[in-house]
Amino acid sequence: MIPCDVVYYRPGTLMEAYEAYRLLQIEGKKPLYYAGGSEIITMSRAGSIRPSAIVDIKRIPECMLLSANDEGLHIGSACTLNQIKESRLFPLLGSSCGRIADHTNQCRITLGGNLCGTIIYRETSLPLLLSDARVSLFGSQGMRTVPFQSVFHGRMRLKPSEVVVQIHVPGWALKAPFFHVKHTTNEKIDYPLVSAAALWKDGNMRIAFSGLCSYPFRSSKIEAVLNDWSMPVSARVDKAAELLPEEPYSDVEGSGEYRLFVLKNMLHALLEDYTNGKI
Amino acid sequence: MKSIGKSIWRKEAWDKVTAIAKYTDDLPATGVLSARLLTSTHAHAKIKKIDVSKALAVPGVKSVLTGKDCPVLFGPLLQDRPALARDVVRYAGEPVALVVAQGEAAAEKAVRLIEVEYEPLPFVLTPSQALAEGAVLVHGRPDGYRKTVTDVYPEAGTNIASRYKIRKGNVEEAFARCEAIVHERFSLPPSDHLAMEVRAARAEISPEGRVLITTSSQAPYSVRKQISEAFMIPAGQIQVRVPFVGGGFGGKVPVFLEILAFLASRSVGGKSVRLSLPREQDMASAPCRIGLEADIKLGADREGIIRAAQMTFRLDCGAYTDNSPYMAKAVAVDCTSPYHIENLNCDSLCVYTNHTYATSFRSFAHESYTFCVERAIDMLARRCGIDPLEMRLKNAIRPGSLTPTRVMCTGSLTGNLTECLKKVKALSKWEGGKAVKIKEDTVRAKGVACLWKTPNPPTDAASGALITFNPDGSVNLNTGAVEMGSGGQTNLAQILAEKLGMDPGMVHVVMDVDTRTAPEYWKTAASLTEYMVGRAVMRAADDALGQLRQNGAQALGCPPEEIEVANGRVFSKKNPEKFIAFKDIVQGYKTDAGLSIGEPVLGRGGFMLKGLSKLDPEAGKGKTGPSWTLGAQVVEVEASLKTFTYRIISASTVMDVGKVINPELMRSVIAGGMSMGVSLASREAFVYDQKGIPQTPNLRTYKLLHIGQEPDYRVDFVETPEEGSPYGVRSYTEHGIIGIPAALANALSAAFGREILSLPLTPERIWRAVKEDTDDSL
Repeated sequence: MIPCDVVYYRPGTLMEAYEAYRLLQIEGKKPLYYAGGSEIITMSRAGSIRPSAIVDIKRIPECMLLSANDEGLHIGSACTLNQIKESRLFPLLGSSCGRIADHTNQCRITLGGNLCGTIIYRETSLPLLLSDARVSLFGSQGMRTVPFQSVFHGRMRLKPSEVVVQIHVPGWALKAPFFHVKHTTNEKIDYPLVSAAALWKDGNMRIAFSGLCSYPFRSSKIEAVLNDWSMPVSARVDKAAELLPEEPYSDVEGSGEYRLFVLKNMLHALLEDYTNGKI
Repeated sequence: MKSIGKSIWRKEAWDKVTAIAKYTDDLPATGVLSARLLTSTHAHAKIKKIDVSKALAVPGVKSVLTGKDCPVLFGPLLQDRPALARDVVRYAGEPVALVVAQGEAAAEKAVRLIEVEYEPLPFVLTPSQALAEGAVLVHGRPDGYRKTVTDVYPEAGTNIASRYKIRKGNVEEAFARCEAIVHERFSLPPSDHLAMEVRAARAEISPEGRVLITTSSQAPYSVRKQISEAFMIPAGQIQVRVPFVGGGFGGKVPVFLEILAFLASRSVGGKSVRLSLPREQDMASAPCRIGLEADIKLGADREGIIRAAQMTFRLDCGAYTDNSPYMAKAVAVDCTSPYHIENLNCDSLCVYTNHTYATSFRSFAHESYTFCVERAIDMLARRCGIDPLEMRLKNAIRPGSLTPTRVMCTGSLTGNLTECLKKVKALSKWEGGKAVKIKEDTVRAKGVACLWKTPNPPTDAASGALITFNPDGSVNLNTGAVEMGSGGQTNLAQILAEKLGMDPGMVHVVMDVDTRTAPEYWKTAASLTEYMVGRAVMRAADDALGQLRQNGAQALGCPPEEIEVANGRVFSKKNPEKFIAFKDIVQGYKTDAGLSIGEPVLGRGGFMLKGLSKLDPEAGKGKTGPSWTLGAQVVEVEASLKTFTYRIISASTVMDVGKVINPELMRSVIAGGMSMGVSLASREAFVYDQKGIPQTPNLRTYKLLHIGQEPDYRVDFVETPEEGSPYGVRSYTEHGIIGIPAALANALSAAFGREILSLPLTPERIWRAVKEDTDDSL
């Protein structure tokens, strides 16, 4: 039980949600958009947030959409990780979703929540960074749809009161060869020491990481090195490991030094699997 | 045998699987005030000022308590702990203030509004730091505290809370003759009990001063005693009730929340107050598992016989002693593991640090020292070139051997280790203990370790049992044993059914303990339920049988000696066809003519331990427990030499349990212990930052074993009966854990070719150990 007083809103439209959020802010409340709530619970328990109001977006039709058409795949931000996984519409994203938390929580955690939360891993961002995904956001100017990469820099960079509505993934990415692996301290279900997602487009590997640094990232420099087939595998791995955007992350899950060791083993296995035609 | 040896279901199984079993915090919450704790944010600091004015102003808040509201100090051995910190905090998480309010939300809000001004002090986080020259003292005058027992020895001007010594034979001379010697330093971090049910207590005081405490405790009678003594309330005025306990593992032995709940209730005119700890506080504030550092030196002759041992144990008891001094004693008593070592010096120290204070944890620190000693034995075996399992067979304790405290071993007293080792060798398919390559960069390896344990109860610990009958001839058993998952109630029911010659289904056990109605049992700890309460049950059954015979003799018109009781009937041996069913005789007998004969049958039995002694302070001679239980365990791993990850394939235990009362229940309780051993050895630890603040007091970041990671558990038994124990059964409920950390580390040391000296065994730690080894050799 988290004993605190919370105002709860359940709007039926995006406009209502936005208005509610904005008004709560004007009233001096600290509102949060809420869908799955797992992180709100976690962070409230830890005492790092004390939301005084929550705006539930689970009744907003746009946020619940999950469908594919000629353009590609559209995923509402309030879709749960498990819905995405079981839909099998985007295998790489499904694989990422399937390794976040346990089944019970996968049925609760939403795509929007995982992307917008404060826990640093945000592993669902990796497939989106690789697949030229676009994101629809609702805010003061109504709806805007922009490349995911333009608003996700380690975390979502949203305008005040803005809410994530949908993610759009182009059709090619849904069928492209992919690779996903997650290494943890010792457990099947845990935060990543290193989680990597890779997607091939026109024979070129795109790769993004979570856990390795203090935020998830995709690096063109690392991709260039790993795609350089003139170099032997081990040389590419060593070189790639030197190109991190910041020092590797260190915490109780694992030291930065060890994360680098895990990364190198992981890249080795990845490149070898690709060479051997296993991907 | 009608009942003993049968795998009946646990008596509480249906209540638990259908979720109707009630635990402390499940009881109705109407009319009850809530309490919440404010805890220290420093490992060691002076409290300069506490301002509770804003907290008191919160609507619904009834009272706010701080250290000045309770000058009494607590502790089962050494009274060194305040209920709420007074002037100084000694660990991060220590209770500093307590808010009582209408509803948890108000209490929680008020807690956040209490302003505490701290002045940080230097702190010590390991026993080594605490024992170093010039170390800050966690307690200014540890020798000035009141002792409740005579054998705890705090040393003035140090952080040593107590010290126990074993001196046996001539160690120096023996080492000089040894062919192989190992000398290593080991370290184990503190960790948590993590019972599924967090600690909870509620208290109320009637207008005429009667105190009612309902609590999740393994020790209701200690609650009564400590509250009575601390607050000078006659014990009879205090009633303590314990419903089902959702796991204790030793962590619910200390009297902790009950004191706070009592103070809370007293501060609001005796109204009922409940205090339930959030998981985060249950981990950081309530007592945890002890940490340990050890230096172990072992020497063997050419044949692999261990000739000498020199051991120093430094137990990290944290900020307060609780029962840790007795864990230091228990470690000394059993320090050799179940091996015969003639020449032995052992120093076991209980050391204060600025960690969360420790208390008993499943096996009372045996899993910790066993890790060190059984690892050292593996290293010694490698040095001697002997199969580690053979090494253990050669040195196994046997009748005629002397324990560290010079108790002469007999089959009845200690059991049969040789048989356990032989059986576990077959059960685990032991192949010599060397790593076997199964594919590139992957090996399988097995590690073995032995276990033994004798309990350390007070020399006068007591138990009791009451038996009453129902009109259908079934029987009610009422004892002071708490049911917390260790299966004691079911084992007791089987013991009673066997003794009365009836079906165990006809025995109904009173599951809740109420100190007002249940006969006192010391505490549900040390795996002693089957022995201590079992003996009281046997006596109560004898008492009831005697009364049944009296009734039967009168009803059947023959001398009592001729009367037999079996199958729920009373009859004459000479004429078994003529019998009286229990239902017709347990409340006395009535003839067809209406004549009343005999008396209602009420069985009662009490038992007090006999023949135990304290250790003599110089050489450590003495007998601290009624008997030993021993066994042998093997863990098998599959390890990747490239990634340093591993999988635990199987874990085997063969234990001499004396007598198998309930094969499935015993197997599951032992496997449960093995699972805890695997979990704590492979992943569990309290990690502290540089300021001494725990980093993982929550279930997101504190690791523990999950379903799906469990190895194949194999359990088998040896049965060497313990004389005087009901049907020969030995204590067994804690013991499954004891050798597992050592066996796992032995397996991993064999797999990676690197001696592992600390826990937990995370892949990173193994990677680092191997890497440092390689760096050194470069």
